[in-house]
Amino acid sequence: MLNNSSHNDKVIKIFSGIRCLSKDQLPRYLEGRLTDVEKHLVEQHLADCDLCFEAIQALEKESNTDQYNDLTGKLQRYIQQSILPVSHVQKVAQYTRKERTKENLLVYFWLIAFGVLGVSGVYVLKGHMRNAPTMPRLMVSSVAPVPETKDTTTTAATQVDNGEKPVAAQPIIAANHATPAHQSAPAPAPNPAPATPIPTANTTAIPPTKPAPAPVKVDSVKLKQLALERAAKKKARADSLAKVQAATAEAKKQDSLKKAAAAAEKEEQDREAAEKQANAAKAQAAPPSDPVKKEEPKKDAPALTNSDENLYKAAMQLQQQGSINEAMDRYRRIEANGNGKYVEMARYQLAICYRSKGQMGKARRMFKEVVKMDGSLKTAAQQALDTM
Amino acid sequence: MHQQLTSLSDKELISRTRKLKDREAEGVLMDRYSHLLVAITLPQLHKNPSLDPNVVFPGLLQRLSASLRTQSIYKANEWMLHIQRGYMAKQEKILPFYPSREVRDFLHIENIVEKASTNTIDRQELIVRLEQALQRLPEEDREILQEFYIEQKTFADLTASRGWNRDKVRHQLKAAKNKLAKLYINQSHVK
Repeated sequence: MLNNSSHNDKVIKIFSGIRCLSKDQLPRYLEGRLTDVEKHLVEQHLADCDLCFEAIQALEKESNTDQYNDLTGKLQRYIQQSILPVSHVQKVAQYTRKERTKENLLVYFWLIAFGVLGVSGVYVLKGHMRNAPTMPRLMVSSVAPVPETKDTTTTAATQVDNGEKPVAAQPIIAANHATPAHQSAPAPAPNPAPATPIPTANTTAIPPTKPAPAPVKVDSVKLKQLALERAAKKKARADSLAKVQAATAEAKKQDSLKKAAAAAEKEEQDREAAEKQANAAKAQAAPPSDPVKKEEPKKDAPALTNSDENLYKAAMQLQQQGSINEAMDRYRRIEANGNGKYVEMARYQLAICYRSKGQMGKARRMFKEVVKMDGSLKTAAQQALDTM
Repeated sequence: MHQQLTSLSDKELISRTRKLKDREAEGVLMDRYSHLLVAITLPQLHKNPSLDPNVVFPGLLQRLSASLRTQSIYKANEWMLHIQRGYMAKQEKILPFYPSREVRDFLHIENIVEKASTNTIDRQELIVRLEQALQRLPEEDREILQEFYIEQKTFADLTASRGWNRDKVRHQLKAAKNKLAKLYINQSHVK
C-alpha cells in the first residue's frame, strides 16, 4: 500500500512543471557533474522543454565552451547595463514627477488657502464695520444738527432782547447761516469754532440786529414761512420756565460741545468765562421775558422733536465718550420739555446713567417711571429693573 | 529589489513588466534566459560568420521586449524559442506565438497539478484520474512513462535499453505525455 501510494505520487511528476536549466546547471549537466536527483529533474524538464534541449544539443557540439561563456557574460552585462539603469532613470523620473505634482498641489492649496483667508477676512471686517459703527454715525449726525439747537438758543436770546417775532425769526436764520460754516467743521479747524460761538453767546446781551441784515438777503422765504408755521402750531405748549431752562441748558450744551470740539484748553477757559457772563445775562434777562417766551416754544415746538432728537443723539455721544454728567444734563432737558417718545428714551438713558454712577435708588425710580409710561422701552426697563 | 525579483516566477515577472511597466523585472527575466539564448544562437553564429554577436543579441533582446508587451505568454521558454527562431529566420514581423491544442491541454493539466499540490483531496483525485488515464495508454507509451518518471531511469538508461538515440527517446516521451494529457482531458469531459 505504501509502495502503491509512493508510486501514485510519482504519477503526478509527469505533469509537474520544472524551471529551465540555470546558468549553473547547464554546464554541469553537460559535464555529468549533477547528482542523480538533480539529473532526473533536469531530464524531466528536458523531455518537455525545447529551448533547453536545443541549448544542450548546441553546446554538446561545441568543442570548447569559451565562446559560450564569453557571450553569456557579455549579454548579461549588456542586459544589466541597458535595462537596469533605464529602470533607475525611470524611477528617478517618476520620483521627480511625483514631487512636481506634489509641489503643484501645494501651490494650489496655498493659493486657495490664501484666497479663503482673504475672503473671510473681508467678511469679518465687513461684519465688524456693520456692528461697530454706531460711534462714527453718531458723530456725523451730532455735528450737523448742532446748528439747529444753537438756533433755538440764539433765537431765545435774541427774542429776549427784541421781543419781536419777525426780527427774531430773521436772526434765527442768520445764526443758521453763520453757524453751519464753522459748526460743520469743528474738528478739523477748532480755532474758528470757538471764535464764532463766543460772539453768539455774547450777543445774547448785545442786540442781534447786526447779523440780521446780511442774512435777510440770503434767507429764503420758505424758511421764514416754516418758522412761522411752527410757531403757530405749538403756541400753547411750552412754559416760560422751561424755556429759561432750555436756554441755559442750551448754553451749557454749547459749552460742552465746544469743549469736545476744541482741543485748546485756554480757549475753553476763555469761552467758559464768556459764557458764564452770558448765562448770567440770560438769567437776568429771562425772568422779565416770561410773557414773550410763552409764545416762543410755539415757535420752537415744531423743531422740538428734531431738536429733541439732536439733543438725544448728542447726549448719547457724550455718554459714550464718558462724560455722563453732561449727558444726564441733556437727558434731563429732554425729559423736561420733550415729547413722548424722547422723554421716555431720555428717562431710560437717565436711569442707565444713574445706574452706571451707582445711584441705584434714582435709577430704579427712573426705570419705574419708564415702565409707567408704558412705551416701547417698557420691557427693557422692566428687565433692567428685574436685574438690578 | 533585484534580489527579490530573481526569486519570482516567470509569470510574475511578465505580469510585473506589463502592469507596472517595470523594466527591472524585464531585465531579470531576460537575464534568467540569457545563457540559453546564447546557447541556441551559437550554431547560427558559427554557420553564418557575417552575424555579429554585438548586433544580434541586442536586436534579439529588443524584439523580445517588444513582444513581451503585446503577446500572451503561456510559457516563457517556448515563447523565447519562438521569437529567437523568428529573429534568426530574418522575419521582419513578429509572428505571434499560439500554442497548439496539445500544448494547451498540457498547460491545463500542469495548472491543475500546480493547484493540487497544496490540496490533498484534489491531489488524491488527480492521482486516481491520472492512473486511470495511464492504464488506458498503449503499452509502449505506458512503459516508457513509467520507466522514466516512476523508476527514474535516465535518458542514458533508456537509450541503452531500447537502442534508440536520445532524440528518439525524448520524442517518444513527449508523444506519450501528449496522449496521456488528451486521455485525461477527455476523461474529465466524460465525467
